[in-house]
Amino acid sequence: MKTLKYLAFIGLSLVSIWVMAQATEEDYYPIVTIPAPEGVLLEVGGLTTLPDGRVGISTRRGDVWLIENPYMQNGGLPRFTLFASGLHESLGLAYYQNAFYSAQRGELTKLVDTNGDDKADVYETVFSWPLSGHYHEYSFGPKIDAEGNMYVTANVAFGDEEWWRGESRVKWRGWTMKISPDGEMTPWATGMRSPCGIGLIDGELFYDDNQGDWIGSGAVWHVKKGSFTGHPAGLRWADEPNSPIEVNQETFYNTFDERRIREDGRAVKPANIQNEEDPLTLVKAKETFPEITLPAVWLPHAILGVSNSEILKDETNGGFGPFAGQVFVGDQGQSKIMRVAMEEVKGEYQGVAFDFRENFQSGVLRMTFGKDGSLFVGETNRGWGSAGPANSGFERVIWSGKVPMEMKTIKAMPDGFEIEFTKPVDIESAKNPDSYQGQSFTYKYHSVYGSPTIGNEPLEIRGVKVSEDGMKVRLVVDNLRQYYIHEINTPGIKSADDGLEVLHPRGYYTLNNIPEGEKLKDTELSKRPKKTAQTKSVKAPKPLPMRGEEVLTYEQVMPLLQKNTCTACHKVNDKVVGPPFAEIAKRRYTTKRIVELIYSPEPQNWPNYATPMAPMPQVPKEEAEKIAAWINSLRSGD
Amino acid sequence: MTKKCLVWITALFMIYTSQAQDGFQSLKLMDMSGFQDQSGNWQIVGSVEMNPNVDVHHNEEPVETKKKKKKNTNEPPKAVTTKPGSGVLVNLPTEDKKSNLVTSWEHGDIELDLEVMLPKGSNSGLYLQGRYEVQLLDSWGVKNPKFSDIGGIYRNWESDPARSYMGKAPLANAAKAPGLWQRLVISFRAPKFDANGNKIANARIVKATLNGVTIHENLELPLPTGGPVKNNEVAMGPIMIQGDHGAVAFRNFKYKLMHDLDAELTDISYEVYHGEYDSYILANAATDVTLSGKQDQLNYDIAEVDNGFVIKYKGTLKTPEEANYTFRGSYGGQAMIKVDGDEVGRGWRNFSGSKKLIAGRHQVEIVYFKTRSWVDPYFGLFLSSDNGHEKALHAMSSHPINVSVVAPIFIQPEGDQPRLLRAFLDFEGDRDQRITHSIGVGLPSGINYVYDLGAGNLACVWKGDFVNATPMWHDRGDGSFRPLGMIQYLYKGSSVSGSVKSKGYVLDSESGLPTFIYEVNGQEVKDRIYPDASDSKVIREVALTDLSGSFEVTEASAIKKMDNGMYLIGDNDYYIEILSGQTPEIREEDGKTLLMLPIDSNPIKYSIIW
Repeated sequence: MKTLKYLAFIGLSLVSIWVMAQATEEDYYPIVTIPAPEGVLLEVGGLTTLPDGRVGISTRRGDVWLIENPYMQNGGLPRFTLFASGLHESLGLAYYQNAFYSAQRGELTKLVDTNGDDKADVYETVFSWPLSGHYHEYSFGPKIDAEGNMYVTANVAFGDEEWWRGESRVKWRGWTMKISPDGEMTPWATGMRSPCGIGLIDGELFYDDNQGDWIGSGAVWHVKKGSFTGHPAGLRWADEPNSPIEVNQETFYNTFDERRIREDGRAVKPANIQNEEDPLTLVKAKETFPEITLPAVWLPHAILGVSNSEILKDETNGGFGPFAGQVFVGDQGQSKIMRVAMEEVKGEYQGVAFDFRENFQSGVLRMTFGKDGSLFVGETNRGWGSAGPANSGFERVIWSGKVPMEMKTIKAMPDGFEIEFTKPVDIESAKNPDSYQGQSFTYKYHSVYGSPTIGNEPLEIRGVKVSEDGMKVRLVVDNLRQYYIHEINTPGIKSADDGLEVLHPRGYYTLNNIPEGEKLKDTELSKRPKKTAQTKSVKAPKPLPMRGEEVLTYEQVMPLLQKNTCTACHKVNDKVVGPPFAEIAKRRYTTKRIVELIYSPEPQNWPNYATPMAPMPQVPKEEAEKIAAWINSLRSGD
Repeated sequence: MTKKCLVWITALFMIYTSQAQDGFQSLKLMDMSGFQDQSGNWQIVGSVEMNPNVDVHHNEEPVETKKKKKKNTNEPPKAVTTKPGSGVLVNLPTEDKKSNLVTSWEHGDIELDLEVMLPKGSNSGLYLQGRYEVQLLDSWGVKNPKFSDIGGIYRNWESDPARSYMGKAPLANAAKAPGLWQRLVISFRAPKFDANGNKIANARIVKATLNGVTIHENLELPLPTGGPVKNNEVAMGPIMIQGDHGAVAFRNFKYKLMHDLDAELTDISYEVYHGEYDSYILANAATDVTLSGKQDQLNYDIAEVDNGFVIKYKGTLKTPEEANYTFRGSYGGQAMIKVDGDEVGRGWRNFSGSKKLIAGRHQVEIVYFKTRSWVDPYFGLFLSSDNGHEKALHAMSSHPINVSVVAPIFIQPEGDQPRLLRAFLDFEGDRDQRITHSIGVGLPSGINYVYDLGAGNLACVWKGDFVNATPMWHDRGDGSFRPLGMIQYLYKGSSVSGSVKSKGYVLDSESGLPTFIYEVNGQEVKDRIYPDASDSKVIREVALTDLSGSFEVTEASAIKKMDNGMYLIGDNDYYIEILSGQTPEIREEDGKTLLMLPIDSNPIKYSIIW
């Protein structure tokens, strides 16, 4: 922090450009690892804050820990008490009216300490649901509403032969269940595939899902009673008398081919159809099945996570910094936290997602705010791997008190977007439409694992209007597309006071609805300067070497890897979500073959990696070839 | 010489053994043939029953060979009673008749598989080659087994330290209660000697299990144990069973005599084709040989590349005798094997197939191909026959040993509190019978059980260590644990009719023991399972307030009421003793026998003894 202050001081008096490179997430939101006693393994599955300030953790190994003084006030140690144990892979923990509640694989359990010794002596089954016994039948929750109703979500199983296909073998896999305090269960919604993250925001239920079959990318959905969010496995139970969903599964599969392919007596995993004409999207499917609920906010796969988790609203009233009222979303695979700001447009939630904080030691699964406004983060990556190399973790994010230069939010406007910043922008750069870039795209809706982005189109920014206080910018976009994800990038924006670039310059707005209202007049807009050359503030990508055979250097290839989101899962030498580039090089694929594998990955070639790679046909062929050639250049000694 | 001897012995066996397909022979136990003469304490009977409550040595009278007898209430209960017939070998020693039993045949390497029954307090032992004693003892309830407990390798009593052997305890006490059949399986290798008769390899137990629990694995036996037929070590020796310490019975006595396989693969030629031949059809049809030549031993290293190749081997297999031969391939990629023109096996990374071959020469053709770069290349071919040990037919460097085993996660209770842990349980080890809502309870005394919360029933009980949670907690896991120790499965399903709704459990604030609570048709049931005072039995106590009908205690293929009032369940698998006042009923239903109790106002209470 001292360094930053010092540099900022220099920046004011000298050249602000120096400071820009120095600002990092750590300056604003440092992460502290909370020391656990030796032998205590915190593979966090559930995390909650008690009214007395203690924090409760439930673990994938079935323990519930009470942690006193996790804030380590005055340098004191946190104290760990084993409250309960023996739960079946608990993946949620809530505290309500002097009891804990946790979803185990097969039931919602109430844990009560009746004799006041800080150990549960009652393990009461609130509601039990069937399981087939498949490993992937995890259950998550609960989240408890004001009336004491508890929401629990249920993963699908996978096929035996068709191991890639989500199945709802028993009721209510693939569903959200609402369970009343006295144990009455109402099937609430279906379409869930791997609904690890649930959150109650202002009394409304939200959940996020992980990319996979029928789920083109991770996203956050607003779940109302009777919602069908996309994965069709749970439709199997739509005809049950207490189901709030009408969509008949047979009708659904008759309408949309689930591509059960058999060759030589064996099931074949469906692959992405390249250059598919008019591919099905969730929006198009909704025309046939209106019960389909579109994501309120897409979290583009590999950019904003690969396996989304906890959804948590910032209710610290500023204790955690400038994002009060917004929503944080964790991600296991990328060991990070994203930030989501939603608004209601035409009666539906939609909004924007940004990166917020990365570099957690393991996969981020659970979050809870402490009494002091700091954010506790519970982590595990066992079985899946994560960018953070540790297998588990219990950490804490504390706001440093400094306001980062960020897009606080982006709102939809009748003619484009309004960006609100956390700090005033340098007006001159903000007035230049070239300080902004963007594109819009969406995803396929198919039974293939994940989806490439489709329909990518650059945003045509007609002009901008900067507010007088420099806090807001209206972007007028000529080619807004309803339902598409609109990426908004601010490469040319600086803060007015210290010349900082936007810390996370990309926001992804899901434009389900374009609001009505007055559009800005052309005369109100600042347009591009008459000069034809781009202004200095916009970074032009360095030209790539011209000759196709020439292999790029690391510095040259890195922008390509980042742009195409390769770096979300791959590093040069370290195993992250996917194999290191150097390991790929050892496979001695031809460059042509690597390009093929970028477009149609064969995850079966990497049996030790848990998260299969999604097809990436959106990578331009020329760039894919350069990346492939660079990968092969990593192989030494040939 | 040895071979001739083997042939002769084999011929002799046909009289008192029956041959099974897998090379095992069973002692028919029709009469005492197959054994050397003894003083008469060893007999062939039709069945045997042992009263688990009566110590065999308390009864000074000779144990009775059951003849027609009138019920006499004054007569003290017998430890052992038998019924005439055949199939069971029993030893009933008396003061003057207490010979050891020695087989008339000898063995070297042997696979042994038998069932043994011991009355309470009895002691015997089985000597491999008449020289290495596996102890047989009523060790039921022993917490920390020693070399002298059942399954232990007994010590000797030599005073010379160079000749002294202190024995070896079984890895776990897998003893069943007296009077129950216990299965002992031993894979034994005889000591090996050079031409001058010097020992060059110790006798060895490759693996031994008692009641399904591994008690020894890859354990050398450097010296004879106490009381051998002769205090030396030899290539061949008889099995001896101790007869002078107490009563013991055997049945299902099977064994397989093993020897090194004297087969070899010669005249090996190969052809290598480089290219992506990604199916058996393509690989077989590969043309344009890249290179070819001859090898002394199979080795993949002539491929010259790590991937994208086909190797076609041809060779001549010399077999020493007519037998059923098994070919096992282990390799990176795909392969198939033909013997005398017939396909014997094919597969991805492994094949295994058998073929009956006469003594002589046989043509072997192998096609090994590899198109997956992520698999390392290696190739191994192993040959075995029913009585011939598996032998590698490849060069050592062609098939590197790669042992990769996950460090296991074992869970044990700590201190004086029980350990409770929910997990899936594969009932009887069968994934198709997975119980999804179940909880394991491990007590510090070494008594363990799994309760089926979904059915409101006790699924299984076992003694020893608690569970292996590796299947659940390694990597993603499959949600299940494995009970450790000697397990007795009871039955799957509910004890009462009506739909069971689990309400969970409460823990006793002192003992930490759970009381399970569930509802049947809206009525609450409380179910407690706890050990008896001796920590060797399990007691189940079920309070069924306001319910009517009947309660199923257990079900099995057979249930028999014993003279002592206990119930013998299955094929002498375990006992049930009813401790509450209700009158049991044995009922036949759907080909099963059920033990039922009427539900009345009193709690149902019974113990399980295994």
